[in-house]
Amino acid sequence: MIIEFRDIHKAFGPKQVLRGVSLGIEPGEVMFIIGTSGVGKSVTIKHLIGLLRIDTGEIWFDGERIDKLSERQFYPVRERIGMVFQHSTLFDSMTLRENVALPLRKHKGMRQNRALREADKRLEQVHMGEFADRYPAALSDGMRKRAAIARTLTLEPEVVLFDEPTTGLDPVSARRIDRLIRELADTVGCTCIVVSHDLTSIFTISDRIAFIYQGRVHLCGDQDAFRHSSDPVVQQFISGQSSGPMETPGF
Amino acid sequence: MNPRRRIKRAIERVGARTLDFLSAALFLWSVFAHTLVGTIRGKRPKGEVVKQMYIIGNKSLVFVGVTLGFIGMVMIYQTCLQFGRITGDLSRIGHEFAKILVHDFAPTLTAMMLSTRVGAGIAAEVGSMKVTEQVDALRMSGVAPIDYLIVPRFIACVVMMVVLSIFGAVVAFVLGGLTAANAFGVNTHTYFDLSGVNFTHLGLGLTKAVAYGMAIPIISGYCGLRAQGSSEGVGSATTAAVIGSSFAVIVLDFIISAFGLIVLGEGL
Repeated sequence: MIIEFRDIHKAFGPKQVLRGVSLGIEPGEVMFIIGTSGVGKSVTIKHLIGLLRIDTGEIWFDGERIDKLSERQFYPVRERIGMVFQHSTLFDSMTLRENVALPLRKHKGMRQNRALREADKRLEQVHMGEFADRYPAALSDGMRKRAAIARTLTLEPEVVLFDEPTTGLDPVSARRIDRLIRELADTVGCTCIVVSHDLTSIFTISDRIAFIYQGRVHLCGDQDAFRHSSDPVVQQFISGQSSGPMETPGF
Repeated sequence: MNPRRRIKRAIERVGARTLDFLSAALFLWSVFAHTLVGTIRGKRPKGEVVKQMYIIGNKSLVFVGVTLGFIGMVMIYQTCLQFGRITGDLSRIGHEFAKILVHDFAPTLTAMMLSTRVGAGIAAEVGSMKVTEQVDALRMSGVAPIDYLIVPRFIACVVMMVVLSIFGAVVAFVLGGLTAANAFGVNTHTYFDLSGVNFTHLGLGLTKAVAYGMAIPIISGYCGLRAQGSSEGVGSATTAAVIGSSFAVIVLDFIISAFGLIVLGEGL
């Protein structure tokens, strides 16, 4: 296992979101974390890079316990685990090239000119080279998402976390992002953890799927295990029926 | 509900609020300490301080000038009116107004104005970055959000607060003088008498300007960094920043004035 969550709990005020999530992730696999909105999928992966802190439990990365690390001690972990955020989160005041160069300058201490040249290469990889001088506001959602992926890949992380990478994209852009994720795992050997609701993505590129329900991992297995599961909650999620046994927060 | 359970709930509520308050106070202290360290360490985006000085200073010139100008005119008009009724002697109006402007009114009124314009701006900008996860993206890129977002605004605000306070004092004093001369026939040579202003007044005014300049970006940045949710959270952070900054200005004014009065006594 490269990553292991052991019985993690997390509450926001009186609201208990995670009630004992335990999950292991193998190196080089594409693991999808799925579940209804507000169930704690994004919360789970944000603990891995110290953006949120667990209340109880343990998180292990590559044989090292990381849930107790300080903000500064998390810097080297964030070099090895990258994250593509749901809303791309490119910095509006910087061009795409500058956005992609930023982690190289800050994490690796690279000089500006060299970091910008490296950024150009990364943007080429996601077919965004010709837009390097543009500002994020001048681009479509799909293009911003690709640039955000380039920024994450610039540090050559071993693990990449994707928070709803295809949300808000047209089907063609969504499938391109899917292909990019699969290629990352197949060609570079990168471990990809994807939080998603997109069933097409889930049943196209995943190696394994973890279904979170009521603050715990309800089912974890490969695509076949999900397709053939007799669990009524899993079946309702897959079929997308509005009525059934599943309790959805807020409904 | 039985009384024992009701008491237990009440104690839990008080405890939760106390913990919330302590955690907020700790976070505010941490923002302040990190900002000071960041300012000394000098790690900040290139050109950002100058940009922020332009936004905070140059873009507030008209706002501060008009506000302080009107306040100066109204204060002199009212003072002349009352003094005229009581003593009829308006010869020391300018002399006294200059002193009070330098050591109190100019920095405090300028800061009150900047709490609204600059405080709201900082909280809205930082808050929207927080709720759209840009602050998290900065952390992922190896950038300390306080170094990147708060430190340049902190330095710019301290510098521009001093500059704007001086500018505001000049505008209020000059327009007050014109009002006194035109409405009450006060001799301009008598009014424009700065002999009463000494280094103590200047020092006190400067101390207040620097203190306000430090408080506004710290409190506004803190409110922005605590923003949660979506646009509603940014709105709440902005409101909290304006209220918090204005409140801090008033409290700091009281503390520094009281300190000045105790230490300097009649010198004021």
